Amino acid sequence: MENKLKEEAGKLLKEGKVDYIIGFGKGTVKFRTSPLITNKEEDLDNLVINPFIANNLSRYPIELKSRVGIVVKGCDSRSLTSLIQDNKLNREDLVILGVPCEGVVDIKKVADQSKAEIDQITDINREGDSLAVQVNGSSKTIPFRDVVFDKCYGCAHPTPLEYDILLGSEVPPSLETEKSLKGIKELEEMDASDRWKFWKEQFSKCIRCYGCRNVCPACFCERCFVDVNMPQWVSTYATWQDNLVFQLIRTLHVTGRCSDCGECERACPVGIPLRSLQRKMVEEIKDLFGYEVGIDKDSPPVFTHYEATDPEDFIK
Amino acid sequence: MGYKKIKKDQLKALFGEFSKDYSLLVPSRSKGHVSFNPWDGDSADFAEWYRNTTIPPKAMFFPPVEEMLRFKKGEEGYEIEELLPGEGTQVIFGIRPCDARALKIIDILFSDTYKDPYYLTRRENAILVGLGCNEPCETCFCTSLDISPGESGDVDLFCTDIGDELLMETVSDKGEDLLSKMSGVSDASGEEESKAKELGESVKEKITREINTSGLLERMRSNFENREYWEGVSRKCMSCGICTYVCPTCHCFDICDENNKKDGKRVRNWDSCKLPLFTRMPMENPRHEKWRRIRQRYHHKFEYYPMNFDTIACTGCGRCIRECPVNVDVREVIGGI
Repeated sequence: MENKLKEEAGKLLKEGKVDYIIGFGKGTVKFRTSPLITNKEEDLDNLVINPFIANNLSRYPIELKSRVGIVVKGCDSRSLTSLIQDNKLNREDLVILGVPCEGVVDIKKVADQSKAEIDQITDINREGDSLAVQVNGSSKTIPFRDVVFDKCYGCAHPTPLEYDILLGSEVPPSLETEKSLKGIKELEEMDASDRWKFWKEQFSKCIRCYGCRNVCPACFCERCFVDVNMPQWVSTYATWQDNLVFQLIRTLHVTGRCSDCGECERACPVGIPLRSLQRKMVEEIKDLFGYEVGIDKDSPPVFTHYEATDPEDFIK
Repeated sequence: MGYKKIKKDQLKALFGEFSKDYSLLVPSRSKGHVSFNPWDGDSADFAEWYRNTTIPPKAMFFPPVEEMLRFKKGEEGYEIEELLPGEGTQVIFGIRPCDARALKIIDILFSDTYKDPYYLTRRENAILVGLGCNEPCETCFCTSLDISPGESGDVDLFCTDIGDELLMETVSDKGEDLLSKMSGVSDASGEEESKAKELGESVKEKITREINTSGLLERMRSNFENREYWEGVSRKCMSCGICTYVCPTCHCFDICDENNKKDGKRVRNWDSCKLPLFTRMPMENPRHEKWRRIRQRYHHKFEYYPMNFDTIACTGCGRCIRECPVNVDVREVIGGI
């Protein structure tokens, strides 16, 4: 896939079909990749496709305001489609390079499974359905699917739905939905007071760095409500109450646009399980409106239109 | 005064003693990320797993949110109640050499023309017990910034982990006083002392990454107007505040008043030059474009701070690299200038 990507990306730049290529480059830290955004052909040799391509790159074209060739996994392609539905991006400006994705490795899980700290892991290699992990000189074999991000377990569309060039052969959907919803089920099963306590503790950790918001492709407002200071909706300082209000409003704002890419949770430096909030809403809109995000670029976003059959039980 | 030592299995008892007289903070994972937290009364094994915290130690002196004062509307104008930190002593056990240096670096700012009573009171009331690194992170580059991972003159007492024991070296009077009150401590042998020194020396070799600081001021200045460079390095940045909040030397803050009808409070909180709302309150953020905000952050650390205070405001702790969701790497950004 990597060679095909380099070749296709090179052609796109050379032929002037795009101004920029947005893909994944080698990171400066082990087991990480880093977004590579370039208009120079010589940089394309640094493009990679490996089990660590975690970032969702679909936010970048909004800022670049150019014609771009962009590398997407299944979940990312749905974010891209959602942005097209919201008129944030023009499909004509994009050449989508699709990566059929077997799941992205969550390095924290690798560390847990290897009973080691991340810094003690020296090498990880994919060998078929397994990962060969080197920890302090000894080798361990871990099933690949045991260490992918939780979101990957319930991935119904691992092969991008929208693409111009597919870089590999299609990957079947992941049917381990239950595993993907595990954390959410646990939260649902708590009684309300325990759940309140849980979130209070979680949001007490929040330092309001806005990592979750800024990496989120569905958070595309030019001016976020928390950045409005006259009137001020949420205090600028991080109290658990205002942190919670911020996150709940953000959750509602991205409902119907969130493709469950999990970037909010991955970005959070203090480890708040933010994806569970979003994932719950993904389930809600599926149940209520039969809508899945980023499936059809020509259909209107779920909250911009209505059907006579939409549920209205909330009107008492 | 020679080296002293304590067995690691005695630490729990020691922490128990400390807890009687001080508020004791140790590295813990209890919040799902590593940070200094009040000792839980039980675990004392952090030396076995801890490399560094996610939240930097500045948070214990310059907290993310801090009430500065409360005000109340009385019959004759406002009554003001100042909320200075209390008198109690914090013992911070296990601070890394880079982070201890970071505090020294921001001490200069907080005790400059305006003496910040909130920060300085906490600093004066704290005892820092340093812990040398035996296993630095791959993101560490402290040695390029004149910091040695295995020793520190920026703490009160410095420990080196030599296996079953921590070797302790007094750095300040405060440290000596603390050491004299510790039980379970014995004299270290000359052999153990040279082992600690050797460890302190050899750990430097484990830090393989570096940042190029040669001729940096000149390089920074001549590159300032290089818009193409700054646009290039900032292209992947998501404009969040993670790097500034996890940075042990970033110290920008905002102050806001929260008013009710008759009373209110003044609160100070961390702020970040990376965020678009920065400095919006007094007037406007003059740095609308992302690349200008990013340039500001690096220039502040590597040009303005050295100009004002004679030291680079970076210690090579690598937190910004580790926590950045898109892997922006300060070593690359500065190295490329």
